[in-house]
Amino acid sequence: MSIILEARDIRYRYPRGPEAISGISFHIRRGEKIALVGPNGAGKSTLLQMFNGMIRPDSGMILFDNKPILYDTPSLRHIRQRVGYVLQNADRQIIAPTVWQDVAFGPANLGYDEQTIRNAVADALRHVGLEGFDRRPPHHLSGGEKKRVAIAGVLAMDPDVLVFDEPTSDLDPSGSEDIMELLDELNHEGKTVIISTHDVELAYPWADRAILILDGRILEEDKPEVAFGNIEHVRMAHLSVPTLLELSMELGQRGYDQPDRKPHSVLDMVEIIENLLHGSSWNHKPGTITVCNVDEEQDTSISSYVTSRENMAVGTMGTRAKQRALQEQLTVEFTYGVIDKCILRALRGQDSLILTTGSMAGRVVTRVDAYGKESGNIIRVHPFGSSGQPSSTCNVNGKTE
Amino acid sequence: MFETLLDDVAQKNTFRHIHPGTKILLGLGSLLICLVSPAPVVPLVSGMILTIVLLVPARISPVVYGELLIAPAVFTAFSIVVLLFMLGSGTVIWQFSPASWINLTITDGAVRQSTLVLCRVFGCTTSLFFIALTTPMTDLFNLMKRCRIPLELIDLMMIMYRYIFIIYKQAHEIWEAQVMRLGYSRKKEGIHSLSMLFGMLFISSWTAGEDMIHAMDARCYNGIFPSLDQAEPIRIRSLLPVILYLTFLGGVLLVTIKGVTMPL
Repeated sequence: MSIILEARDIRYRYPRGPEAISGISFHIRRGEKIALVGPNGAGKSTLLQMFNGMIRPDSGMILFDNKPILYDTPSLRHIRQRVGYVLQNADRQIIAPTVWQDVAFGPANLGYDEQTIRNAVADALRHVGLEGFDRRPPHHLSGGEKKRVAIAGVLAMDPDVLVFDEPTSDLDPSGSEDIMELLDELNHEGKTVIISTHDVELAYPWADRAILILDGRILEEDKPEVAFGNIEHVRMAHLSVPTLLELSMELGQRGYDQPDRKPHSVLDMVEIIENLLHGSSWNHKPGTITVCNVDEEQDTSISSYVTSRENMAVGTMGTRAKQRALQEQLTVEFTYGVIDKCILRALRGQDSLILTTGSMAGRVVTRVDAYGKESGNIIRVHPFGSSGQPSSTCNVNGKTE
Repeated sequence: MFETLLDDVAQKNTFRHIHPGTKILLGLGSLLICLVSPAPVVPLVSGMILTIVLLVPARISPVVYGELLIAPAVFTAFSIVVLLFMLGSGTVIWQFSPASWINLTITDGAVRQSTLVLCRVFGCTTSLFFIALTTPMTDLFNLMKRCRIPLELIDLMMIMYRYIFIIYKQAHEIWEAQVMRLGYSRKKEGIHSLSMLFGMLFISSWTAGEDMIHAMDARCYNGIFPSLDQAEPIRIRSLLPVILYLTFLGGVLLVTIKGVTMPL
């Protein structure tokens, strides 16, 4: 993968203040999910604001797409269109009196024509699940909805890189999960996503790489299990070791065999424990997972499908899937980490249904397949409407696995 | 916390989706007719009809509407009392002179004129309330743009409108924090608390302003503030009743002008 953002020995001092960034170098590849983790005042936000040229480093340089960022007005406009920045406080980011106007702000200032603006706004709003909110004033929205408007405002400019400063800080747990799910969705569509956070539990399973920052320096930069596994550094950065990682390390210290790949999810942990207890996690006849692409199943009734089957749990991936579930008044059990939770259910011998949208349908098959190869447990994934037929091949969204 | 604000009512009533031009025509039209009417009957009828329209088809809560009317009602009541004694022509119908240097009289001319003022205030207030309660600011911005009001002015108004709610919310939070710690408990303390509230509000508005510039820069601000010009089309279904109503009101006005001798 090519490098999209690179920092070379950057330093920055606030006017009349202490040095906020003291010599940082790193690079971010296209399509990566990066978590910048560190305590308050470590320099996370300052660093993030350098990515779109809001702050110019005193020395060193930032490269975008292997070219140094220039600080003249046309170059800054270009970089800000390619690198979308979402502020921590959505209230401060939303400047227009209606949702539509706010989302249209970026495209209008980029000089798009009217029709392109309309399309960009409609696309962005659909993406974050706020269709029909066009004329609502921002002060009538909930915290999570405001955050979505802020994200839509950046998405409407179609950036390559999305930078989020503390994306979940003002949200309740379910709102946070929704936003992290949305970030996953965006990443899956090819966007590079960078977040700053001090929530290690959120960053650990989500990120491809974690960068620990303390006092304007990089303390550790590695895969999350390595970065958060260094207890010394984690303590120095005023963070805590993620529970799953701590559990795995504790088991390892007690002499229980631990696989090389550290657990990233409850599923991974269950797998490890069952292997310790029974030598395998293969206990029951496994349940099945049915995948329903809500874009293709506009007319079928999902609720009658669910009620006609006993003990069928429903999980949703993506905002349109959530809306559909709401429309059909389905009880949704999983909205985050859906695939893993459905695999867990299948291992208990129970069936589940995943509602999802176009691009993510294939992901279910890939993930279940990968799990199957790793653990030797074969779980069947059916496309919606053909479940019940004995078929081990999955054909979801035209993709044969 | 915004439930009691006019803006909230304007966003949620059933007339929300009628073209703003239609609503403005009704409001301003009846306002004008009420103002020029020489007889109290025209503004009285207009005020009553608009009140019914606001309460029944537009489904505005009678409590909210009643509370809104209280302020102008109190103000008008005081003015009317003064007017009753100040204006004077015609026969005296009531006199009060407890001492030789106090002489309060009410004449029938004063009663006529005060009634006219009272009815005009009622008619005009309901006309303005009709606009305020059914047409959100966001729709008015579009209308202003069509009326060729300078864009810079409208952009400023839009930013102000957006920040009213942010600053109001902030003020409310600071006020709550103060009350929880027994601010405003004594008179002197109250002044101190209030000055602190304004100081804090100034600082937070300042940082909010800086953040706004950042937010605009981050989205390539180039002097353009997009406007959402996709209001509902003007519909005959709503425009026709408005025209009929204004014609009716104008008709009543003509009849009364002919029938009433000008009181002024």
